[in-house]
Amino acid sequence: MDDNNKSAPLRSRPTLRELAYFGVVSLVLLVSLAIAPAKNYFSDWRHYQKSYLKIAAERQSGTLVRSFHGGIHQTWIANLGVVDRCESCHVNMNGALVGATAQPFRKHPPIPHEINQFGCVTCHRGQGPATSVEEAHYTTEAWEQPLLPAKYLESGCGQCHLGPLEGAPKLSEGRSLLSSMGCVHCHNVTQPDGNQLTPGDNPPPLTHIAEKTSREWMYAWIKNPQAYAASATMPNFLLNDQDAADISAFLMAQSTPSAATKVEIKPAAAAAPTGADAATEATTLYGASFCSSCHAVQNEARNLVGGNFGPELTRVGNKVNPDWLRRWLNNPVAYHPDTRMPHYRMDDKQVALLSSFLLAKKDNDLLANVHLAPSTADSVARGKKLVTETGCAACHQINGVNPPQNFAPDLTRVGSRALAQVVFAPGMKHNLPDYIAAKIHDPRSFGPGLKMPKFTLTDSQTGALATALLAQTDRAATYPKELIISGARPSNYHPGGEAGKLMDDLRCLSCHAINGNGGDMAPDLTWEGSAVQGAWLEDFLKNPNTLRPALIRRMPKFNLSPEEIKTLADYISVAYQGSGFDSQTLDTHSLNADSAARGKQLFYSKYGCQSCHIADYKNDKGYVGPALTSVGTRLTPVWTYKWLKDPNALRAGTLMPNFGLKDDEARDLTAFLMTLKAKQGGSK
Amino acid sequence: MATTIKSGFERIRNTEVWRTIFRSGSGSSNLHRSQAVQQNIFLHLFSVKVRSRALEFSPTWYLGALTLSTFFILIATGILLMFYYHPSVPQAYADMKDLQFVVASGVFLRNLHRWSAHAMVFLVFAHMFKVFYRGAYRPPRQFNWVIGVFLLLITLLLSYTGYLLPWDQLAFWAVTVGSNIAKAVPLMGKQIRFLMLGGNEVNANALLRFYVLHCVILPLVAILLVGVHFWRIRKDGGLYVPEKKNL
Amino acid sequence: MQAEVQSDVRKNPRRIAFILRRTSPYVKTQDDGRVMTYPTALSRFIIALEVAFVLLVWISLLANAPLEGMADPMHTPNPAKAPWYFLGLQELLHYFPPMVAGVLVPGLVVGALIVIPYFNINIEGESLWAKDRKRRLMIIGVALVLFCIFLLAFDVIVALVPTILIGGLMLWSARFSSESPRLFHRWLASKPLSFWIMSWFLIELTILTVVGTFFRGPGWSWVLPWQS
Repeated sequence: MDDNNKSAPLRSRPTLRELAYFGVVSLVLLVSLAIAPAKNYFSDWRHYQKSYLKIAAERQSGTLVRSFHGGIHQTWIANLGVVDRCESCHVNMNGALVGATAQPFRKHPPIPHEINQFGCVTCHRGQGPATSVEEAHYTTEAWEQPLLPAKYLESGCGQCHLGPLEGAPKLSEGRSLLSSMGCVHCHNVTQPDGNQLTPGDNPPPLTHIAEKTSREWMYAWIKNPQAYAASATMPNFLLNDQDAADISAFLMAQSTPSAATKVEIKPAAAAAPTGADAATEATTLYGASFCSSCHAVQNEARNLVGGNFGPELTRVGNKVNPDWLRRWLNNPVAYHPDTRMPHYRMDDKQVALLSSFLLAKKDNDLLANVHLAPSTADSVARGKKLVTETGCAACHQINGVNPPQNFAPDLTRVGSRALAQVVFAPGMKHNLPDYIAAKIHDPRSFGPGLKMPKFTLTDSQTGALATALLAQTDRAATYPKELIISGARPSNYHPGGEAGKLMDDLRCLSCHAINGNGGDMAPDLTWEGSAVQGAWLEDFLKNPNTLRPALIRRMPKFNLSPEEIKTLADYISVAYQGSGFDSQTLDTHSLNADSAARGKQLFYSKYGCQSCHIADYKNDKGYVGPALTSVGTRLTPVWTYKWLKDPNALRAGTLMPNFGLKDDEARDLTAFLMTLKAKQGGSK
Repeated sequence: MATTIKSGFERIRNTEVWRTIFRSGSGSSNLHRSQAVQQNIFLHLFSVKVRSRALEFSPTWYLGALTLSTFFILIATGILLMFYYHPSVPQAYADMKDLQFVVASGVFLRNLHRWSAHAMVFLVFAHMFKVFYRGAYRPPRQFNWVIGVFLLLITLLLSYTGYLLPWDQLAFWAVTVGSNIAKAVPLMGKQIRFLMLGGNEVNANALLRFYVLHCVILPLVAILLVGVHFWRIRKDGGLYVPEKKNL
Repeated sequence: MQAEVQSDVRKNPRRIAFILRRTSPYVKTQDDGRVMTYPTALSRFIIALEVAFVLLVWISLLANAPLEGMADPMHTPNPAKAPWYFLGLQELLHYFPPMVAGVLVPGLVVGALIVIPYFNINIEGESLWAKDRKRRLMIIGVALVLFCIFLLAFDVIVALVPTILIGGLMLWSARFSSESPRLFHRWLASKPLSFWIMSWFLIELTILTVVGTFFRGPGWSWVLPWQS
């Protein structure tokens, strides 16, 4: 080095301090790096597998311990997007370790599917790929849909099973409520197979409403429908007095006269019935017409008695104008072309009896405090605006207001809605099931400006609706089409010809289904011609009587004329024939007395049919199935034979078991049943 | 004990293999120390001697060294992460889940890469401001400052391209927001964005493009520029340390 | 000026430097102590690397990298935020058209950073107020007021406040000189214009980034970080 640079010393080695720092920091680094694998080692799933093995060892299950494969257990189903590692901790799903009741070692209850067929999260939600408790079960930053509470679990089924499903009653109830409460009037709910749910509540048109009721009743009704009828499905829009007054003013103003007004009311029909027996007579008529099959009335104990297919009649006297009611009873179709109410053939006396009976059903307090200012052009105009904004026309036909399109949010994918898109009410839990349930239960708690009205639902119904909606997932929409099991779609079948007109007038399809169209209240008539004997059918239509005494709903008596009965019976016998109901299936000549005797043996001994059916009122006590005392008059032999062989093939879902009868056994039983004829003059 | 280790080292350094690899043999003279730097392709970017004041903490806060450290950590963890990653939709996201839940210490690996990346961006900025306030950009170091500015941009691009790779909501929307800014470039904004994303929106093409940029092109450019950056320190007369002024 | 050349110049070379006004300051009248790069300087670097590594390892052990749900073009989070280092820009985008905030401003910043070492170098770090004090005061004062009006016109309060603070400090520093009694005043007085501009940039960058990161909620509305 140059002596000029002597003032600039050169240091060649690190100082001791530098070396010390170097050593200490290196050591700290090595230790820190070693912590990472250690942290990895103490993972949740390793912990649970260890405790499983410990329990197994305590129970001396050596085979279980030996056959256990440690490590991450995974169900991978590529086409469903399933990567489920739940079984890494839930190692005892098959219940091999008996009696382990604490999670995560609880045995999975038996289900109709294999676990490796659909994985776990398909039904349970949660984060399948996760192997830590927190991430797998709960809402985290990376995963929104936590484990579904058990009460909504049936929604998992509903992703593939789009129709009613046995074993998933909540789901089925929810789906039917979506339809029967009219939710789908406003909300679109499209199922993964592309079918929209359709409303099943048939709200009345309001185009001729002034004819039917008063403005005061209308006002009270829209303010609180349930005050008039506890079972009303119309929701409460929580209108204020002014809005309700304006809406009622508009609804009265838009009303036009219906076709029914052309019908003249004969004095006999309008006359108040006289005589001591009038009240009894009216009650009898109400009963004989089986009005209560569809309509309910509240009794003194405030219980509803009757069906829920038509409106509740407890206070109908407050609602309807007497003349409207008389015309309605005379022929409902004239007022409401799409009503489900059949056209009873009532004579003037019957109309008078029934109308005065119904008009007496009133509650004098209901409208006592309703005093409306006379309607003005302003209030009508304001009412129209309100009706448009409230979306009344989504359900009801109203003159001058078009049904709104896309009025309410589409619920097709609501079961996968991102929480970021959900506005929660203050104080509620931030998860989707609770949100949906709360929204159904009390929509206005999410803000007074919201349009959705308040429906009258029990908690169980709310839960069922939420279950049905939670089935509408993104996941289901991406499933392979072959997995989807569509529900039955209503066909557009309508009977034709003269008989068709008659059946339409009688609204047979309100209760009976034929060829895939119609209600489910009464038996399917698709094969009725093959099933019953023509003579019995005529007899039945003349004076319908229930076959099952335990049922409340019964076929009403329509007072048909003999020609109408003939037309109907002939048409049903000819048109509603199934295939295979011929002599090739059963040779009726073989049904002789010997055969019948053998059949009786089979009936009472081998198969014990009398435990459900009654063949002889004196001895048998079976009330589960229909009485068979006159079955030989009612059913055709070949139907009976085929029915006995396989009941479910003829009526899906029947309670009648398939006993696996041999051909000759079925024939002998048929022979026996055919001997059970009705006594002359009655079909008891 | 210490002497045994020391002589053991000496013996290793005197073997033929060592000498063929490192070119410098044993010995603890300053000549050997100089050779250790000069004869090494990586170390020869540095000068053999540095001013001792440049090693003090206060002028630099070691920000450049710390930035380089994070860069090393990022290369190491990044290569490991590449073993587990497919730049495709939606597999990229599934790979994140596998890293988190299945790969041994996968979370740790990803954390280390992620936090190091944020640290590097922060340190690059800090380094830049420290250099400015120290006045170390002044002649003859003008061009090294310019290289530094480009390294800042490369770092931002590296971080930004890496941001998309997990393919989660955070990644997707951050990159969507960022790429929408490119649209505002006059005349050819849309074309720039198309070139950047390989399409008109952030999709699988963009993921692949960002992956190639993040794992190949940008790291190579960065390594090259870092090399020049260090070499220029030596050529421009070592680290600039201001003279102590008496205020 | 004279330079002495000795006869043993080959054996004993000497460095002769002509120190002019605009020469770089790395030429020292006297040299500092030196250290061998290997192993001393390298060991320092390795210690720095290890310290960084240890810190990052501990951060990684304690805090997980964010991972949200899978990318879904249908569901836009509100707000959709860029990476934190671009949030300053995103904050500007809130005030200015994208052409200005997204292209012009970053372009100018990068351009300015590149030309810093070439632009009218003030090697001695001469104080802003050393010469033409009155004229400079007026020019800078007017420029500052115009810029503040511009920011006010676009409602950029977050940028206006630090501008006023830094600008005020800068104008205030004109009152002092190297003879001022207090150290802080002398320090203020010694700062060149580049110092003031860079400091303003640093503070703006920090404030805009912090605001964009912590104080912006749905719809880029103002929220406080502790109100989620």
